[in-house]
Amino acid sequence: MERIILDVDSAGDDILAVLFAAISPSMKLEGVTTCTGAAGPIDQVTNVVLNTLALAGKGDVPVAKGAWRPIVGNSKEDMQAPVHFEKRLVARFGDRLAKFNPPAPTPTLKVIDKHAVDFIIDTALANPGEITLVVTGPMTNAAMAFLQEPALAKALKRMVLLGGNFITPGNITPLSEYNIWADPEAARVVLNQGVDTILVPLDVCEDNRAAASMLTRDDLADLKDAGDHPVLQMLQDSFPIYIDIWREFFDLVGFPMDDIITVALAFDPTLCTMTEPLFCDIVLDGRVARGQTVAYRGRQLLPGGGPKTTRICTDIDGRRFMKLFKETIVRYQTATA
Amino acid sequence: MTTTDINSIRPTPILLDCDPGHDDAIALVMAHRSKAIDLLGVTVTCGNAEPEKTVSNTLRILEFIGAQDVPVAAGCVRPLARPLVLGTADGPSGLEGSPYLPQATKKVEPMHAVDFIAKTLREQTEPLRIVATGPLCNLGLFVLKYPELLSKIKDITWMGGVFWRKSEYITPTEFNAFCDPEALKIVLDSGVPITMVGLDVTMKVLVEEAQYREFEKIDTELGRVVLDWLKFYEKLHRDSMGVGGALHDPLALALIIDPTLVKTRPAHIGVDLTGTYTFGATVADYWNERGLPPNAQVCEEVDSDRFFDLLYSLLRD
Repeated sequence: MERIILDVDSAGDDILAVLFAAISPSMKLEGVTTCTGAAGPIDQVTNVVLNTLALAGKGDVPVAKGAWRPIVGNSKEDMQAPVHFEKRLVARFGDRLAKFNPPAPTPTLKVIDKHAVDFIIDTALANPGEITLVVTGPMTNAAMAFLQEPALAKALKRMVLLGGNFITPGNITPLSEYNIWADPEAARVVLNQGVDTILVPLDVCEDNRAAASMLTRDDLADLKDAGDHPVLQMLQDSFPIYIDIWREFFDLVGFPMDDIITVALAFDPTLCTMTEPLFCDIVLDGRVARGQTVAYRGRQLLPGGGPKTTRICTDIDGRRFMKLFKETIVRYQTATA
Repeated sequence: MTTTDINSIRPTPILLDCDPGHDDAIALVMAHRSKAIDLLGVTVTCGNAEPEKTVSNTLRILEFIGAQDVPVAAGCVRPLARPLVLGTADGPSGLEGSPYLPQATKKVEPMHAVDFIAKTLREQTEPLRIVATGPLCNLGLFVLKYPELLSKIKDITWMGGVFWRKSEYITPTEFNAFCDPEALKIVLDSGVPITMVGLDVTMKVLVEEAQYREFEKIDTELGRVVLDWLKFYEKLHRDSMGVGGALHDPLALALIIDPTLVKTRPAHIGVDLTGTYTFGATVADYWNERGLPPNAQVCEEVDSDRFFDLLYSLLRD
């Protein structure tokens, strides 16, 4: 039973990641922490998590609100890119888009009276060697926690981080992946801590080589008769539009499950093939290269490097992952029936 | 006609964020001794020396001047986004030349500096003034963590930055800005009013022969310790620039007591994060080419004689 803290920015796959982590028999979700990112301002991100846990009937999972801005970030215009993208989506999908990242209604659940950074630090220090920190959004909270409490690095069991790209082109610039790009300074702090880390790049989720891991309408059909639990109804109701967007605009065969893959790796690292532990760093300067993830592989003449503690996923058993996802999510029906 | 009794004026409550450092040490002494200031607490950052040394120096200075009641919170041990590069002016201990300071019996608060700042702000009914004399690691992390408390900070008076670069002893960057430029950017973007007490004015409050003669007249234990600090502290200035020690941090602190010591000019200030030789450079947009409202008051002129008179009087009385 893995004990995890899940740090999210509440895009569509983060919602599934929270639902997956909260019902998985293989992990104990110690808490969810929130960070400004793909889903917008911190209050929207936090409300989405609270509403998701309410829907799941998991109101006992602590939620701690976190970073409202990145350490440095990028220009205001560039940070607005997801908003402009949504405008293009409206033009294509019309009313159907109402189900994509809708404004969260006021939640009935409440956040705990503790900053996300303190929740991460306190939980890890009280349970040394026990806690896996899973980050599926920008790494601002994790970086702030390491900056505030240097002892955190030794206290964590492991980190599983969604971010970067090595073979697959970037999704925010040709070289960079969104989570890293949104706060490259934070990612650099986190990857330089020497903590045992699994990095989940776009290569194993947002690439048709990982097609079997993506959510398709066939998968939704498989789940159709699983029951009428609100979580299962929400899947049928909300996720067709996500599948269509990623097929139409990203040429992927389905909705990529980045964040759920990342969570699953916390208890089953055999889902992915990985590199040996190596040093992984982030490009901070440069324009188009800002936020690029760099793996120190091979041999070079110039010195450089850092802690060799990051294993990068290079391939995924997509079928086994999707089977695991479906078996886990139907537990909302079977475990409560 | 009414008269104003100086003793009836409520002293200005402040928090001091520092990295002692000889000139930080003198600023601490001034803050403790001035009747115009109520020092609510001291937060400590890395900068002039490693964090464990700046914390230890702070505790020892406070012990020496009998300010054990002032709470001290240890803060950031590294800049937010870069490895720590230490200052060189203060020697390996950060406070060379004062081996006879007592070891501290006092302990630091059981919380990080950013949490101590938050706690102190919550306890105040009025917005609080903060004086910062080191790299802005703590205040940068504070802005990231506590956006809801920014309105409780009245302003930040910060020793840092440099704007007028014509003088041969002023480099493109000032150390506190160079040490953690990302934190500086966060603070500049925060909307909290900031007064930048940069090298433009601090390199004009120099301890030369005339000043040494005045310090030598202060025949107390404190006066002698300060004189010893100054004698060590001037080495770097003397060797590299041929001038006496510049009292950077004391000038920033003095502005709480007497803001008329300097003339300021409002401007939008940016900080360079990526230059080859200029990262940490502070750039004032006096022509408003960025189209952004001023985020800082830049100190441009200083009355050095009046500053030193204030300092002597605080050490004497």
